[in-house]
Amino acid sequence: MTSTLIQVSHFSYRYNQESEVALKNVHLEVAAGEFVAMIGANGSGKSTLCNALVGLIPNYFVGYSEGRITVDGKDTASVSVGELSQTIGLVFQNPFNQLSYTADTVAEELAYGLGNRGVPRDEMFSKIKKIAELMQIDELLDKNPLELSGGQVQRVALASAIILEPKILVLDECTTQLDPIGSEQIMDIIKKLNESGITIVMVDHDMERVAELADKVYVLQHGSIVLGGTPEEVFCSPQLAEFSVSPPDYYEITKNVIQPGYREKDFALTESQAIALLQEVLYEDRNQEPQA
Amino acid sequence: MKIEIKNLKHKYPSGGEALRGINTAFEGSDPIAIIGQNGAGKTTFAKHLNGLLRPTEGQILIDGESIHEHTTAYWSKYIGYVFQNPDNQLFLETVRKEFEFGPKQLGVPRHEINDRIDFVSELVGLKHRLSTHPFDLNATEKKFCTIGSILMMDPKVIILDEPTCGQDVEGNQRLTEIITYLKNNDRLCITITHDMKFVVRNFDQIVVMAKGQILMSGSKNLVFSDTKTLLESYVTPPPITRVGQALGLKDISFSKEEFIDHFTRRLHQR
Amino acid sequence: METIDNSIAVLVRNINPITKLLIVFCLGIGCLIYPLPFVGYGILCLLVILGILIGQGKQVLKLIAGFGIPVTLMLLFIQGLYSPKNITMIADFGFAQMGLEGTMYALKISSTLLIFLAAFYLMLQTTKNSETVAALTQSGLNTKIGYLILASLNVVPQMQRKVKVIQEAQESRGVEISGSFIQRAKAFLPLIGPVVLSSLTDAQERGMTLEIRGFGINGDKPTSYIKVETTSLDIVLRIIAICFLISSLIPRLL
Repeated sequence: MTSTLIQVSHFSYRYNQESEVALKNVHLEVAAGEFVAMIGANGSGKSTLCNALVGLIPNYFVGYSEGRITVDGKDTASVSVGELSQTIGLVFQNPFNQLSYTADTVAEELAYGLGNRGVPRDEMFSKIKKIAELMQIDELLDKNPLELSGGQVQRVALASAIILEPKILVLDECTTQLDPIGSEQIMDIIKKLNESGITIVMVDHDMERVAELADKVYVLQHGSIVLGGTPEEVFCSPQLAEFSVSPPDYYEITKNVIQPGYREKDFALTESQAIALLQEVLYEDRNQEPQA
Repeated sequence: MKIEIKNLKHKYPSGGEALRGINTAFEGSDPIAIIGQNGAGKTTFAKHLNGLLRPTEGQILIDGESIHEHTTAYWSKYIGYVFQNPDNQLFLETVRKEFEFGPKQLGVPRHEINDRIDFVSELVGLKHRLSTHPFDLNATEKKFCTIGSILMMDPKVIILDEPTCGQDVEGNQRLTEIITYLKNNDRLCITITHDMKFVVRNFDQIVVMAKGQILMSGSKNLVFSDTKTLLESYVTPPPITRVGQALGLKDISFSKEEFIDHFTRRLHQR
Repeated sequence: METIDNSIAVLVRNINPITKLLIVFCLGIGCLIYPLPFVGYGILCLLVILGILIGQGKQVLKLIAGFGIPVTLMLLFIQGLYSPKNITMIADFGFAQMGLEGTMYALKISSTLLIFLAAFYLMLQTTKNSETVAALTQSGLNTKIGYLILASLNVVPQMQRKVKVIQEAQESRGVEISGSFIQRAKAFLPLIGPVVLSSLTDAQERGMTLEIRGFGINGDKPTSYIKVETTSLDIVLRIIAICFLISSLIPRLL
C-alpha cells in the first residue's frame, strides 16, 4: 500500500521584489518510498520547489504564495520549518551553506541537528560514528569544517542531513563537487536509503543518473511542471527537447543504431540496459552470419 | 606563453603534503583539462600557476622567468584564475564594476574597457545583467560573472576551477563557446573539472592527478583508454565511452556520432 | 586557535570555561577594588609568565606593549596632571604639576584594563568558543542567547577568513596587496563594505540552515555534543579566585 507523503496542490509562488512568478500552479504527489527526480533548465524553479517542500517558503522567504503543500499530513504554511525538519531534510546546492558556522569540528557540526532534537550525548557519538563510516568522513571528524575542500564539505553536508533520519530527503544537486567515483558512491548510499524506505526528491542535471535511479521524473520550465512520469515516459517524449532537456546518452545511441521495431524495445535508458541490448544486437547478427 | 613546472612540492603549514613533486609544462592554445579525485591537489596546483600559493620546493617558470620574481598581481596580467566558489571572488556592487575592476588595475584605457565589456558580457551571457548586484545573480550566472571578470583582463592563460558545477544544457553550451573562443584567439585554457562528458567534448589534452602527483597525461584517447589508471584517480570514462568499452569496440568513442559510427562498422565488419 | 602541546597548555585548555571566566572577572574586579595598583602589576606579571609557559608569551607581550603602554601614558597624562583629586604633588613640569592621587588612579585603571585584556586573551587562546557557550548553556543559559553569543564570537574569525579570500581574488585581478602601508591600506579599505555586506547575506543563509536542522524546535530541551567537565582543579581555582576578590575588599573595610 502506498500513501501520499507529499502533496503539492496548485502551488504558485512569487519572491518579493521579483516581477515574475517562480512557481506556477505546481501540482505534484509523491508517494512514500518513491524516488523522484526534478529536472529542467536553470531558473526553471527546481530550487524554489525544494525550498517550498521543506517550508522555507513561505516561512522564511518573503513572497506571495497560492495553493498549499502538505508534507506527511502537515501544512507547510502552518507549522515551523524546525518542526517540518523532523520529517523532511534538505541538502543545499552550495554545501558551504549547509554548515552551522558554530561548530569547531566536523563532529560538532554533525551533532548540531541532533542537539536541537535533544538526542542524548551517548547516542550522538554512536550516530556520528556510524554516519562518518558510511560517508567516508571518519578522518575529517576533528577538522574544522570551514577548512575542508568543496568535495569534503559536500560529504559533510549530506551526512548532516542523513544523520537526522528524515522520512523524506530533498537533494538539490548534492554531488557537483565530487569526483566521479565519489559521486557514484554517494548515489549508491542514497539508493540504499531509498530502498530502506526513505523518500527521495532529487534535483540533478545528470540524466544518466536520473534514468538509473528515479521512479518518477518531473520536468520544470518557467516555474511549471511541463512533463512528468516514469523515466521511460519522460525521456521518450517527443516534447523533451522543447524544455531544454536531453535524454540520457544511452537512449540516443541505442535509438540510433537499432532499427525501429527491430525488437520489442528499441532503446535503453541505463548503462546496463544499453550494454545488454547492444550486445544482443551484435551477438544475433553474428549468429546470422553463417547463414548469410 | 610557456609554463614549466619543475619538481613542484607544496606542504601545508600544518605539515600535510598537498603536492608531491609535479613535473610538466603547458604551452600553446589547445585547451587542457585537469581531472582526478577530491583532494588530489588540483586546486592547490592551479593556485601555484599565478603565484597565489608559492612552492615549498621546486620551481615554476613562466616564459623562462621564475614565478618568485613577481607578485600575483603582476602575473595576473598573463595568467587569469577563476575561483571555484564565485562567492569568494565577487566583491563589488554591480556586474559592470566587477568587469571593469581587473582591466582598470592593469591600466587599460577607458574606451578599450568599454569595448571589452560589450564583447565579454555577450560571450558570458550577462549583457542584460550589467547593472545587477552580483549577490542577486543565480549560482550559474555568478560563475559566468567571475569568468567574465577574468576574460576582461585578457590574460594569455586562463584557469577555470570547476566551471560546470550546477550548469544546465545551455550553460554547458556557453562554456564550450568560451573555451572555443580562447583557443581560436591563441589563449590557453586550463580547466579543473569532475564532469567527464564536459571533458571529452571540449578537451583533447588531459592531466590526471591523484594524491598530489600527476598520474598520467596525454590525449583523451590515451587517457580514457587506460581505465585502470583512471580508476586509481577515482575517475570513470563518460557514459558513451563506457558502453563502447564494455562492448569491446575497437576504437574509443566520445560522442554519439563516433559511437554510432564505430558500432555500425563493427556490425558490418564480417 | 593555535594548538600548543606542552603539558601546561593542555592543563589550561582543560579548565572549565566557566572557571576561566570567573578568574578573569575576579582578577579584574579585584584589582579595581584593591586600593593600590601594585597588586595589579604583580598579577599582570603572573599572567605574562603563564602566557610564556603555554607558548603565547610573545603575543601577550605584544598586546601589552601595543595597547597597554599608549593607554597607560594617556591615562597618566590626563589623570596625573589634571585629576581634581590631586593633592600631593610629586613632580612639576612647568605647564602642569603631577599629582600622586591621579597617578595612582591612572596606574590602577591601566592595570585593571591590562589584566582584563591579557586574561581574556589567554582564555580565548585556550578555549574553543563552542566550549564556552556549551558551558554557559549547561549552567542554564538560554540556548538561543547561547547561539547569539557563539555566532557573535565567530564573526571575527569568519570576517578574517573572508578578507583573506577576497584579497586573493583581488591579487588575482591585479591588486598589489604587499608593499607599502599606503598601498596595502588602499587595497584593504574598499574591502570593508563588501565584507560586511556579505557577512550579512551569510547570516541570512545561515538562518535557513539552522531552521532546516531543527534550531529551536519547541518542547525539546536541546543537548550538546560538547560536555564540559567540572574537575576538582576547577573547584580549587574557583575558590582561589573568589578568595582573591574577597581579600581585595578587606583593606577597604578596615
